[in-house]
Amino acid sequence: MKKELFFEQLQEIMEVDDEIGESTNLKELDEYDSLAVLSLIAFFDEKFQKKVEAESFETVETVRDLMGLVGMDRFS
Amino acid sequence: MSPQSELSGKHILVTGASSGIGRQCAIAAAQKGAVLTLLGRNEKRLEETLKVLSRQEDQNHRIFTLDLTGFGEIKPLVQKALELNGPVSGFVHSAGVELTLPLKVMSPDHFNKLFSINVTAGFEIARLLSNKKNISRDGVSFVFISSVMGSLGRPGKVGYCSSKGALIAGAKAMALELAAKGIRVNCVSPGVVETAMTREMFAGLPEASREAIKKEHPLGLGQPEDVASAVIFLLSPGARWITGTDLVVDGGYSAL
Repeated sequence: MKKELFFEQLQEIMEVDDEIGESTNLKELDEYDSLAVLSLIAFFDEKFQKKVEAESFETVETVRDLMGLVGMDRFS
Repeated sequence: MSPQSELSGKHILVTGASSGIGRQCAIAAAQKGAVLTLLGRNEKRLEETLKVLSRQEDQNHRIFTLDLTGFGEIKPLVQKALELNGPVSGFVHSAGVELTLPLKVMSPDHFNKLFSINVTAGFEIARLLSNKKNISRDGVSFVFISSVMGSLGRPGKVGYCSSKGALIAGAKAMALELAAKGIRVNCVSPGVVETAMTREMFAGLPEASREAIKKEHPLGLGQPEDVASAVIFLLSPGARWITGTDLVVDGGYSAL
């Protein structure tokens, strides 16, 4: 998936007003809560056919970390 | 704010607006100043509803015909409604189908049809509307028309009762999930109301059963207006601390 598209979809899923980039710190976003994590798990499963466990999100701080969960090689 | 204008300028979307309770909700909301988007399956009857709505200069009511079981049609239509009338302040899911059939002859298709229209279509619209860019910032109210049958049983109503019960349970979960966005979610559960849908149901019953059902409503059978006034209350700012509940409007049916 193109990175720009991924950022747009992240913004849409979490309903964030400001633009999202690779270095965006998710922990600083009010919208990044436990329900958002569940939405992201479903999103990764649907778009990347990748099952990510909820506990993998514990180490996630930035959008880059999030991309690491499905593998950086999946983005262009 | 006068009680007559408590929904003034508010965009409210109503399903099942071509008849019965949905139509009456539309009429009552328009009287309170709301700008309406009406969804229904019958174009001619939707237009009849549109004709009887009160309309000030700034009330541009819109109607859309669709079959709610075509889930793919819902999103473009909701987007169109939002473009035309702006973010919503209210949503009333009154579309519903009734079925009285003994369990032994119920098929999965019967269940699917009941659940598709009564439950899934309503939740899909709520899902689409709940995005914060689609809702008004000064409070939003979703109202699902359930039924006393959503909490009580009756022979031949396994499908109908379970679909209406799903609305009550789903509305509670939705109320919790959407509270942070200022969206309140409630159900209204009517007893038997005299509408085209219940007339059809009554036509299939023996006279003795019809009389029995009437007697089970100590205040008599309801009128669409009786339900609409409860819905308007839940839509209005006066209900701003009410969410996740089921308002029973049944002429005493469930008190028996």
